[in-house]
Amino acid sequence: MLVALSVLIFILLRLAPGDPIDAYINPSSPMSASDLEVLRDRLGLDQPLPVQYLAWLRAALGGDFGYSIQRGGVAVLPLVMERIGPTALLMGTGLAIAIVLGISAGIFSAVRRNALPDIALSVVSFVGISSPAFLTALLGLYFFSVLLRWAPSGGMQTAGAPFSVSDVLAHLVLPACLLSIGHAALIMRYMRASLLEVLNQDYVRTARAKGVREFWVIIKHATRNALLPVITLIGSTVGIAIGGAIFLESVFNWPGMGLLLVNAVGTRDYPVIMGATLVIGICVILVNLLTDIVYAVVDPRIQVS
Amino acid sequence: MRIKTIALHLAVTGLLLGGIGLATSVQAQDAKTITGGFDVGPGGFPKNFNPLAATGGFTWLSTYFEPLVIYNADLTELEGDLAKDYKVSDDKLTYTFNLAQESWHDGKPFTSKDVKFTLELARNKASGSLFAARLGDIASVDAPDDRTVVVKLSKPNGSFLSILSQVMILPEHALAAMPPETLATSTWWSTTPVGTGPFKFKRYVSDQYVELAADDDYRGGKPKVDVLINRYFESPAAAVAALRAGEIQFTYVEPDDAVSFKSDSNFKVIEGASYVVNYIGLNQKVELFRDVRVRQAIMYAIDRNAIIESLYGGAAKPANCGYVAPHLLPEGLEPYAYDPAKAKALLAEAGWDKINGDKPITLLTYYGSPQAANVMAAIQSMLAEVGINVVPRVVDTPTYNGIVYKEGTPDWNAFAMVYAGLQNGPNPAGISPGLNKSQIPPAGFNTMRVEFDDLSAALDAALGQTDPAKIDQSWQEVCKVMNKDLPWATLWVANRYGVASNKLRDFVWTPAPAGGPYAAHPERWDIQ
Repeated sequence: MLVALSVLIFILLRLAPGDPIDAYINPSSPMSASDLEVLRDRLGLDQPLPVQYLAWLRAALGGDFGYSIQRGGVAVLPLVMERIGPTALLMGTGLAIAIVLGISAGIFSAVRRNALPDIALSVVSFVGISSPAFLTALLGLYFFSVLLRWAPSGGMQTAGAPFSVSDVLAHLVLPACLLSIGHAALIMRYMRASLLEVLNQDYVRTARAKGVREFWVIIKHATRNALLPVITLIGSTVGIAIGGAIFLESVFNWPGMGLLLVNAVGTRDYPVIMGATLVIGICVILVNLLTDIVYAVVDPRIQVS
Repeated sequence: MRIKTIALHLAVTGLLLGGIGLATSVQAQDAKTITGGFDVGPGGFPKNFNPLAATGGFTWLSTYFEPLVIYNADLTELEGDLAKDYKVSDDKLTYTFNLAQESWHDGKPFTSKDVKFTLELARNKASGSLFAARLGDIASVDAPDDRTVVVKLSKPNGSFLSILSQVMILPEHALAAMPPETLATSTWWSTTPVGTGPFKFKRYVSDQYVELAADDDYRGGKPKVDVLINRYFESPAAAVAALRAGEIQFTYVEPDDAVSFKSDSNFKVIEGASYVVNYIGLNQKVELFRDVRVRQAIMYAIDRNAIIESLYGGAAKPANCGYVAPHLLPEGLEPYAYDPAKAKALLAEAGWDKINGDKPITLLTYYGSPQAANVMAAIQSMLAEVGINVVPRVVDTPTYNGIVYKEGTPDWNAFAMVYAGLQNGPNPAGISPGLNKSQIPPAGFNTMRVEFDDLSAALDAALGQTDPAKIDQSWQEVCKVMNKDLPWATLWVANRYGVASNKLRDFVWTPAPAGGPYAAHPERWDIQ
């Protein structure tokens, strides 16, 4: 699957107009042809495409993803690896907030079905679902950084300040909250629907009939069963979250995979694009695996034999 | 139980959020620091640290590296930098530089050997230097003593000093041991570079910012601030947000944003000529624009003054040749004042109906700003009025270059017309690569494949002109030919803007092409 992905990316990249040299030329202040040749030689872009791909694949299988074209001399693998941390931090925090908010709001909404809080939450969640990441990111940036100055406008640390956890957290809060909005809303809708369905089941009525307190009926008997479809949803949102994170990372200049990828595409930095997409592909596969495992934990009917 | 855990999580998250807000507000910076987006905008070249491979970003590079000579902040004249002064022989072949006393940031003395080493490195293609061709006229570099450098040229070159102003002098003691072919990919540039400028390199935090520290024994005096930081932004808009949020004190801004800062007393808007002439390029390989009357019609059809007034807020000068600087404009230029009736008549005379009629013509551009989109739309409707049907197409820079420089036989119709810009100063020779017939790709950058003999002759004559008294006249001749032949439909030279916080003192910035360099004297910059 990963090889197919790499072939696809490779072909798509070469079909796109413009190469790394074209990205280097400033159309308003041209270089001479011999300067261009210097660049072309340096970047090794004069070989046929299949040869370039096979050379890349052979090296990649051995763990060598080559060197970034636009960042002289930086190896791709460490470059991509150092971006996994920041992206995982941003996505992890964003999804965690989304899961906590989404599930609690979903339960609340289902229990108070058709009451005022339910309607209010439903309206809010519909707004959340329908707001595209680029809109919430920009509006959030404008209100919370520029107008209110509650949070920094970008970056992962204050420029020039020594590293501190509170500094990173301060930079993390706004993008993570903005990332969580859409997901929280979606999780809430699923949780609400799923719980409402479960609450009509016979075993819930049985539990109530046994005299179990309503609180425990909801939490122990209903929620646990209602969580199953929500977990599937969360697993599949991780892939979407990476997409959202790409946008958030460029708006907030967050030094993660998304920013790296956007920069690399803008400068046609082929080795970095290949390396970054592959790593993202691996991550998505791993997350799907993880979802299956969590499923087994939550649903006792599924047994790992 | 679960509800409790969730509640606990929520409470902890809330506390964290509150605590963080507090932590950032308490955080104080003891060191006097200026933070800016110095590589934002067209003159910047973010994340490039190698001055030999730079096609821009010289504003920032020249805060820690220095050239021998540098433009003044008005970009009108060259003055000494690492060379205190210089002499040019009468035959314009020998340049003698008298070097300033300075030491490298690591304490080693700066000498003429460093200059000789740098110029030889810059001329060596193997080092990945983009100056190799431009410095091709150098015959020899000698260092008769520690403070003198003598450069001999094989033929006079009126642009030599101007080119030299972008060659940052590098330390021989740090780089001589590395083979030149490894230099382009060396990490030295972004980890431990050593320069002579007022600030010394401290660190680069990948994709985030570059931090410099004051060089206390700089020859121009100890810098007034301790730390200078260059933050990277994905777009000018992101930099504007950081500027408004008070996180940075300076950035380049798009013209629309400049307007919104003009009424804000916390900021100062800095305005300067872009030295980039905008034009509609008319591809000479398509049949459409062979007739000069068609090209004239396009000039008459576009109401440049109206566009300048409404879309540039008046901050652009209409160009009737490649230049707008008064000393480069000869008497009696045709002003091509807006006259759609005349445009229609010229098109009818040329037989536009037979040449193209109302078939759509692609107008390609790499300018992606909202303002550029408005300009293209205005041009589209003005041309439509006289019967020329253009379809704007905006692509990113690599795509644009991929289309116009394509080897073999490009699809000429994909760039029948372009909306583009070319550097026209401070050195007027800047437009030659785009118009000279000797520069048709792959040899050069004449992407519109302009092959006008009289224009090429005028350009070559001006390039070869070494008599300072006649130099302006030679470029005026170029202007005159351009105005008559119309290789492009020239539009205007617009102003560009930077915005600085009012907390800054003695801050100097100008929107120089490629970022200069120019004498900005960062050692004098201060912040309240």
